[in-house]
Amino acid sequence: MTATSSKPFYRIPRRVPGSQFPVSEIYKPSPTPQPANILPPSRHPYADIVHRLEAGGGLLPDSPENLMRVIGMYKAYAVPMDFYWRDLLYLGERVFIDPLPFFKYFPTQEYFDLPNHYAGDNADYRIWRGWEKAHPELMEFIEKGETGKLPRLFHHLWHDRINMEFSEDLARSMMWHRMSGPLEAFLDSEEYITNANRAIEAYLLSNPLYAPLIVLHKAFPQMFLEQARMATYMSILGLFWEIMAPVFFEISDLYDEGKIQTIPDAINFLVNGIFIAAGRPIYHHVYIKGKCYEIIPKSKGFMWLYEAALPYVEAVFYRTSPFRGTKSYNAEAGEVPEKQEDFHYGILYADKFPVGTAGIPPTLLHQDMSHFLPQYLREHLLRNCRGEGDLLVQVGISFQRSMYTVTSAVIQALRAALLYPLDDPNPKHLVANRAFFEGQLNRFLRPQYGINEASRILNVQTTTYK
Amino acid sequence: MADIVDIAVGAGSFQTLVAAVQIAGLVDALKSPGPFTVFAPNDDAFAKLPPGTVESLVKSPPQLGRILTYHVAAGKYTQADLAKLNYVTSLEGSRIRIDCSDGFEVKNSTVIAADIEADNGIIHVIDRVILMGGDREVDVKTTIEFCTPEV
Repeated sequence: MTATSSKPFYRIPRRVPGSQFPVSEIYKPSPTPQPANILPPSRHPYADIVHRLEAGGGLLPDSPENLMRVIGMYKAYAVPMDFYWRDLLYLGERVFIDPLPFFKYFPTQEYFDLPNHYAGDNADYRIWRGWEKAHPELMEFIEKGETGKLPRLFHHLWHDRINMEFSEDLARSMMWHRMSGPLEAFLDSEEYITNANRAIEAYLLSNPLYAPLIVLHKAFPQMFLEQARMATYMSILGLFWEIMAPVFFEISDLYDEGKIQTIPDAINFLVNGIFIAAGRPIYHHVYIKGKCYEIIPKSKGFMWLYEAALPYVEAVFYRTSPFRGTKSYNAEAGEVPEKQEDFHYGILYADKFPVGTAGIPPTLLHQDMSHFLPQYLREHLLRNCRGEGDLLVQVGISFQRSMYTVTSAVIQALRAALLYPLDDPNPKHLVANRAFFEGQLNRFLRPQYGINEASRILNVQTTTYK
Repeated sequence: MADIVDIAVGAGSFQTLVAAVQIAGLVDALKSPGPFTVFAPNDDAFAKLPPGTVESLVKSPPQLGRILTYHVAAGKYTQADLAKLNYVTSLEGSRIRIDCSDGFEVKNSTVIAADIEADNGIIHVIDRVILMGGDREVDVKTTIEFCTPEV
């Protein structure tokens, strides 16, 4: 398979914000010759990638360097993620609707010891062979940071810490895009409102300082209720990442052992992880004075795949919200889409070169990840470009490659769940698979608001994008 | 004649399904008068799922139950009835795509034994476990979002 040319193969007639060119206008047949197959070659502009997906591969070409960057970033991401999910559960379950959450980034020791349901000896299903409590590298960073051993409050004030704001931002993004599958509708139901109000009242009355606010709650019943919904989204994202952290730790260990040798190996491992975790309950429990309030009980049947994973991918990989530093929110300029479905500011579209400058939110994450780079990746990045000088940009681009690989796994998992095996002998089934793959790739080709120009899918096909 | 559960137990090739129905606490529901149309994945269908899927799912009975109720529709639909429909709504709430244009396909599974009559409904045996999602009209905007079940 030859790498797709990095040059754009279509011209965009004119960049009119909000224009609705039909996708067919920018379709051109791929010039690349294709291997013989049951089906004739795809005529999609990204035919190379379609054929790669049909062969079990991903959106990213398979090469040792790509694999090394992708796995290295999984490891670097998993350690802060181990903090994110623990603190997100702490926010959802303990901080809840605290009007003055000064110490919300200081989860109690209990939350560092919280056993991950998918790691350790007592796991529901053991994905990572390591331990169930917080990762040792994380604990070392919490204790010493970049500066040395100090009380945690000083680390926080000196900004020597995990940038928890980033994960809160993603939870807010899921909420604003109204993402969480059928659970979204449940948040407006009588049952949810009754459960949440019971917890809100108990929470306010449990603290003499907050007890008078109960009057405020009675006067404006939507105010704390919306905060409770926010806490629910914190829990959902925490429960989502509780799975992803052990998956990334395990894939990194397997790579170190030489058991993951190609990008398709990595995709297969992720797809399997998605299926294992699919039925994991999604719930929201709040603990007030030792009592558990089940705002969303496990018995509602909400599950990881539909209420957390797919909504997360849509809200975070594709949409999020325009970076303050790259887009104008000026309503007259029409740069920011009117409809949320046209939002294209997720990791798959993000411009990584301004990382480290003002108004670029992922900088927070890239700084977090830069503390936990595996040795082999750190050495590799220091040899490239400007070494230490643009480390955050290089981390960002490697991270983008790794998230294109996760997206590939999500696409392959959906194909496996909803469509047909790749080696299905029935041509009709293969046509359905192809239509699905092409449909997913169309998301990178939509001309509205320059979505096709923002997409980085052609960049990650090259070796020079770093 | 026997009810849906008895037929599945008696057939012997639905051991995983019968165990799953018991764990999810749906035995009584499927023994009730109904009538129901059940798309029953046999043991080979469950074996096609990636390793660990069933093992982890049985630890979450309500979530397992949700997937199982996606395999059941209220009412009694024979193959001939379903041939007239493009979709049938499951007890879970999401739609199930039916394609009888070339054989008898239920979503991405193929029916290997149709129209098994029971006291309280009808059973169609399918060769793949079906999962919610991807049942909206597909167009250029086919997205991951559109693959989540309908709200």
